[in-house]
Amino acid sequence: MASKFEIQNLNAWFGLKHVLKNINMKIEEKAVTAIIGPSGCGKTTFIRCLNRMHETTPGARVSGRVIFNGVDIYGNGVDPVMVRRKIGMVFQKPNPFPMMSIYDNVAVGLKLNGVKDRKILDAAVRRSLELANLWDEVKDDLNKPGVSLSGGQQQRLCIARALAVEPEVLLMDEPCSALDPIATAKIEALIRKLAENYTVIIVTHNIQQAARVSDYTAFFYLGELVEYGLTKQIFENPKHELTERYLTGEFG
Amino acid sequence: MGRIIDSGLKELSATLHRMGELAHRAVLTALLECLEGGEAYREVCEMADTLVAMADNVEEKTFELIARFQPVASDLRTIKSYMKIAYDFTRFGRYALDISFLNKQIGGLKNCEEWISSHVKSMGGKTLDMIKLSIESLKSHNPQLAERIAGKEKEVDKMYFEFLDKLIKNSTTSKCIVSSVLIVRYLERIADHATYICESIIYIATGQKKVLR
Repeated sequence: MASKFEIQNLNAWFGLKHVLKNINMKIEEKAVTAIIGPSGCGKTTFIRCLNRMHETTPGARVSGRVIFNGVDIYGNGVDPVMVRRKIGMVFQKPNPFPMMSIYDNVAVGLKLNGVKDRKILDAAVRRSLELANLWDEVKDDLNKPGVSLSGGQQQRLCIARALAVEPEVLLMDEPCSALDPIATAKIEALIRKLAENYTVIIVTHNIQQAARVSDYTAFFYLGELVEYGLTKQIFENPKHELTERYLTGEFG
Repeated sequence: MGRIIDSGLKELSATLHRMGELAHRAVLTALLECLEGGEAYREVCEMADTLVAMADNVEEKTFELIARFQPVASDLRTIKSYMKIAYDFTRFGRYALDISFLNKQIGGLKNCEEWISSHVKSMGGKTLDMIKLSIESLKSHNPQLAERIAGKEKEVDKMYFEFLDKLIKNSTTSKCIVSSVLIVRYLERIADHATYICESIIYIATGQKKVLR
């Protein structure tokens, strides 16, 4: 297994508040890594640092190195837009563009990048919807508004939208917390499938979800990385007492 | 699209199927050794050890599936039962080893009276059939097939007691008595474990805890 990310001494602040403290970890390629921990532990900030989204918040600051494919994404001359194209993101609430059709929701990234050829767009839309396990459900309704779909379908539409620009990494911030159990199971199975070709990093409040979908789990507490390892090991035999107490529900 | 837990369950059942084949081979090898002569102790020992290692793997995997996937209903019954079945398969290996050890330590049945070896042979054949049936039930998760073991278990039990009666009434050498009694005892235990496997299959398929003994 090769590392997709090597994170070195990563620190993040909101104003004066130090929210991530000296994080060092490597994230494996083509695997699912889950980030767990109680509210406010820095999970979401952490993944937002991985595609330079954190700095878009006013007053936010980052230090340290995030080496992606051998290059520090915080290095001089690195274009954050190019970083985000390679490292896509899916959010807690499905957020399809409300005025756009299903088709346009998927095609929008390519169109913004200047792709006009209808054949290329058609193929990319189909490929992305198939990858997101949504094609069969929407193939006859591509011109309907994206927001007309169910919550679970909308989330898969957002995943298709992220996949359309051919990223290498998908960051997912609580992608199932607004979904019912059936829609959740579909997204979880989809995450496993995507890990065959993509590096997936998922933030989740749902400990069991981390256990089910991930290969590696990182436990964050008060801005620090407490424990990180194979999901099997973390859930069967955590090394750190804090991890044990969090997983067994003593606090959270 | 399959469920996430499915690949783990598939891996578990594949390991159990391999264990079943190996356990059958171990018992067959030990019986042939005792009936026809030869030296298979080392080979049987290796098979028994492998079965124990495989059962450890099954236990590890079931532990992981419980910790990670919160199995319920038939998934939970399957996982619980697979752990038990893995143990049953290790018992086949262990009894095969005991039989083989007898051959090594006090000699097999080759030079004993014909009626003794022929009785052990036919009881051994029945027991091997039961192992086969338990493996087939496991592969198919078919409770009707599993229930068929009940009749066979009674036959083996009957043969066991008939044999002991006959031994008491006949005068034969103590070496043959010790060897053959222990072998039929092990066969009777193997038959019981094959029956436990079939009971587990019924439990997986129906949720009913049925006693077939």
